[in-house]
Amino acid sequence: MDTILNILNWIDNSAFANAVRDSFWVFPSIETVHVVAMVIVLGSITRLDMRLMGLIWHDRPVSEVSEEMLPWTWTSFVIAAVFGFMLWASKPITYLGIAFFDMKMLLIILAGLNMLVFQFGIYRSVGAWDCDPVPPTGVRLAGAVSMACWLCVVVCGRLIGFV
Amino acid sequence: MFQGFVEWLEQSPASQFLSDTTGFWTWLIIPMSQCVHIISIGMLLICVGILNFRLLGLGSGRRSFAQLASALMPWIWTCLIVLFLTGAVQTVAEPGRELLNIGFKVKMLLLLTVVAITVFYERSVRNDPQYWEHSPERRRMGRLLASVSLILWVGVAASGRLIAYLDMRHEL
Repeated sequence: MDTILNILNWIDNSAFANAVRDSFWVFPSIETVHVVAMVIVLGSITRLDMRLMGLIWHDRPVSEVSEEMLPWTWTSFVIAAVFGFMLWASKPITYLGIAFFDMKMLLIILAGLNMLVFQFGIYRSVGAWDCDPVPPTGVRLAGAVSMACWLCVVVCGRLIGFV
Repeated sequence: MFQGFVEWLEQSPASQFLSDTTGFWTWLIIPMSQCVHIISIGMLLICVGILNFRLLGLGSGRRSFAQLASALMPWIWTCLIVLFLTGAVQTVAEPGRELLNIGFKVKMLLLLTVVAITVFYERSVRNDPQYWEHSPERRRMGRLLASVSLILWVGVAASGRLIAYLDMRHEL
């Protein structure tokens, strides 16, 4: 525990953290990039999730929607993660005490696990249900879990700013 | 310019109700309306992103601009309505924070411009699905408009986020 605290203190006292804290505009600028990237992650992934749940675009194959959305999701996720890390690194001790931050991280991990299970599980048989207007239960469930996780990520992220 | 209107709105029962953060439920209204607002921005940005990327000639090209427009425009307008309503809740709750804010004014200016471009997109392919394909000049104009649109949409989202940092009420 002490080691972790030492590392966090070291980050907290780093030149980067001080530079971010000393300027009025650096934190908001990083945050703006983070938020814009984050909403594109959310918008693209929920669109795919809705197709997986059989709610929209019944005439389009799931694989086609996936090919259309995932480049947006991954590109913006990398940007959101890098800029999110910068936000965290500017005041790691502060975030230590915010439960919504922990919840947000856990939800992102959960969304990732859900995606792995989906990708290496039922998605291997995509050929069998690609064109189904309403995919099988397992697929719909994966879509629902993903969408619930990402919506909660946004809610937690927003609430971090309120506490 | 808005000072009188802001003061009138602040005194209104609706504003008093929404800005009362002591109630068990009312304190949740603003964070939750912001969450719905953010989620709608996500839904909107992916739609306008795909649409404008198509005009730029990026992406799979599997569907034409006209096909994409007819699939995505209803989402775009629905999201904009939700954004207007949730934005209105936040503005009525704290009129001075928004209406006197340079970030808010810039956002509205960018928004009106890009909405005008989006209306133009919708009309352009309604009667002529090949509108953007007719000539090299038309295609160039499409790429230019798409670039401007993307910059404006990102500008709308960015200036929206910066409203919180440009709140000058406490310094007046």
